[in-house]
Amino acid sequence: MMKKPLVRYSQKTVLIVEDFAEFARSLRGMMSTMGSKKIDLVYNGEDAIQACKERKYDIILSDYNLGDSKDGQQMLEELIEFDLLKSTTVFVMVTAENTTAMVMGALEYQPDSYLTKPFNGHILKSRLDKAIHKKDVLAPMLRNIRKKKWKDALKECELIEEENPKFRMACERQKLKCLMALRQYDKALELTTKIVNERPIPWAMLGVGEVFFAKKEYERAIDLFTDMTNEFPMVLEGYDWLAKTQRVLGRPIEAQHTLERAIERSPKALKRQKLLGDVAEENDDVDTMTMAFRQAVKYGKNSVFASPDEYVKLTKSIGRQLKGNSDVDRQKLLDEAESVFSKLDSRFKSDAGTQFRSAVAHADFSSITNDQQKVEKYLAAANKYYDRIEEHIGCEESLEITESLKHLGQSELAESILEEAVEQYFDDPKFIEQAKKLTTNKNLIANSQKANKLNNKAIKHFSQKEYTKACEYFGQALEIAPNNVNINLNNVQTLLKRYQSGEKKPEILHKAEELLSNITRLAYSDPRYERYSELSRLTQLMMQSL
Amino acid sequence: MTEKAHTFSTILASTVHDMKNSLGMMLDALNSILSSIPDEQRVKSANHFGVVQYESSRVNNALMQLLAIYKIENEKLPFNPGYHNLYDFIEEQVVGHSPLLDAKGFEVEIDIDDEIELFFDDSLLTLIITNVLGNAIRYANKKIRVTYEHEESHSILINDDGPGYPKSMIDMAGNYLLGINQSTGSTGLGLFFADKVAGMHQHGDKRGKIALENGGPLNGGIFKITIP
Repeated sequence: MMKKPLVRYSQKTVLIVEDFAEFARSLRGMMSTMGSKKIDLVYNGEDAIQACKERKYDIILSDYNLGDSKDGQQMLEELIEFDLLKSTTVFVMVTAENTTAMVMGALEYQPDSYLTKPFNGHILKSRLDKAIHKKDVLAPMLRNIRKKKWKDALKECELIEEENPKFRMACERQKLKCLMALRQYDKALELTTKIVNERPIPWAMLGVGEVFFAKKEYERAIDLFTDMTNEFPMVLEGYDWLAKTQRVLGRPIEAQHTLERAIERSPKALKRQKLLGDVAEENDDVDTMTMAFRQAVKYGKNSVFASPDEYVKLTKSIGRQLKGNSDVDRQKLLDEAESVFSKLDSRFKSDAGTQFRSAVAHADFSSITNDQQKVEKYLAAANKYYDRIEEHIGCEESLEITESLKHLGQSELAESILEEAVEQYFDDPKFIEQAKKLTTNKNLIANSQKANKLNNKAIKHFSQKEYTKACEYFGQALEIAPNNVNINLNNVQTLLKRYQSGEKKPEILHKAEELLSNITRLAYSDPRYERYSELSRLTQLMMQSL
Repeated sequence: MTEKAHTFSTILASTVHDMKNSLGMMLDALNSILSSIPDEQRVKSANHFGVVQYESSRVNNALMQLLAIYKIENEKLPFNPGYHNLYDFIEEQVVGHSPLLDAKGFEVEIDIDDEIELFFDDSLLTLIITNVLGNAIRYANKKIRVTYEHEESHSILINDDGPGYPKSMIDMAGNYLLGINQSTGSTGLGLFFADKVAGMHQHGDKRGKIALENGGPLNGGIFKITIP
């Protein structure tokens, strides 16, 4: 038998996350028997995250079930999302029963090992030995993935697989991630179908469907995800993807049905509940919409992935219930909505954009119940917050706010918000369609279409490597929409290309720098932020070589 | 699933969870008692400790199987197959029993090539293998041998040096519910569960199965689970 390298537990820092004091003590006992000296103990997920901010642990043992606080899986997701783990950290999830309510194997964020209670110190050591060895072997590749160096990661995968056939599947899974990020869909399809043709592994099957989805072959994706939910009814990601695809194909009723099947199996998923709420809204199913957003607010309580969305949408659906139905318990719903608003305001109190959105929604809600005093109070608050907003309001949020303001007779503010949004998001046809219905300013849409045409023209020149021409058209588009982040970034990218392909004039880089410095209202959470920061980095890099 | 069945499943699951926690706490309490008594006395109680640990792991295993069977019947049991290194998998099951194996002076041989990767649901197979090993410790004398055979499908064999399976049990092949016999103390649960879980492993038109035999190099019982 192949000998694994000896793990020196005395050198390893250990974090134990367990709400059951007895069991926590017993875990600590097992670890110190193995020789560990640096063992920290916390009783809930919040404290665990705090501990990980202060120290990078080598080993984390966490119970899946942590009482009322966030569960072990939510905690792991946050730790990964906020980059609080080392590439070599081993995370072991301890579960009470191995027939948990769902299959975790297809989850995006995986612990390194699962252990079912009860177990003894020998089993724990055997598991840790293996997991630490595996993580050490995979670490160089995982480091590249963390830095989003997909090509290097792919090379690393090949090397590791060759030397350690035992870790082939783990490598294949990471390869799929890299290929998807590189948009090499044909290679990704080849990789996943090869695995699936041998054995139906849930993550690989999902991968095949995801590739079809990415290639916009939606019908094939639907077939695949349908098979998936039949063969693995407990792999919930299959339902999520199926619903997503059904929605793209304009079948919201089917999508709702699919999501309901998943939620019946596991209600405790914030993202899934939000999606169900949105689909139910599309289907005018106010009861389901209310229920879904209610659950989303509930399960988001301990999660960093909670957003103002589910709060606002819950109050909207409550408003719709009050409007439509006379035999509902009105006082109970009113109280609920007020409490949701107050939770929303306190949770996101440092964000002026959210405070503004909440005030508008609150005024709108109060108008449903004819509470004129409150309408005025919250409109005044909205006007106060509006001046403090520093970041762009999102596309969906802008539509929602405009609609409410129109409903409240605040046409002037409504139009100015819509104008800003149109300037930012005119390249989104779905958004423009909605905006058209809301605006009274005919020029607004016509202008945005002009800018859109110029932008498209410029992109075409860019793809034909006619960079100077491209810059010219981006410049013209920016005259109509000077604050549009995408066009500004497009222009920067083109300028950098010009510089790289031989036009080594400092003015070009200065121009790029100037365009970037004009982008001041981009939120860190904005989907466009990543591109902005990458282009800023490249510009700085080239400036240094001047 | 009907609402009644759903309620029952929820109660069953939460009760199993609770009972398992109690078992865990009992074991921990015993551990701390053991560590607080003098060495010479501890050696004397080692055997008793082994018994308590062994019996609680049996209760635990039975609870898990019960819950799993209930979920199979209601199509709620997650099936999560993947590739696993067979040697590592078996070694871990043996390690789980190590306190009692050591206390009783058992010798366990794992004769499996280090390179074999099989496709199965490891959490379900754990319940089966742990149970079979547990029974071997109870009925056999000193030796257990785990081997792997590959013909058309893959088989794991667990051979011991005990008295072997009674003929009536071997003859039940495929119909393990008949094994419920209160006078012999056999509940049939273990075999029934093993058979169900083996059958969940399918590949092409082949299905997994279990078989009982007597003999082998250790001249005792042989439990054989085959997965395609």
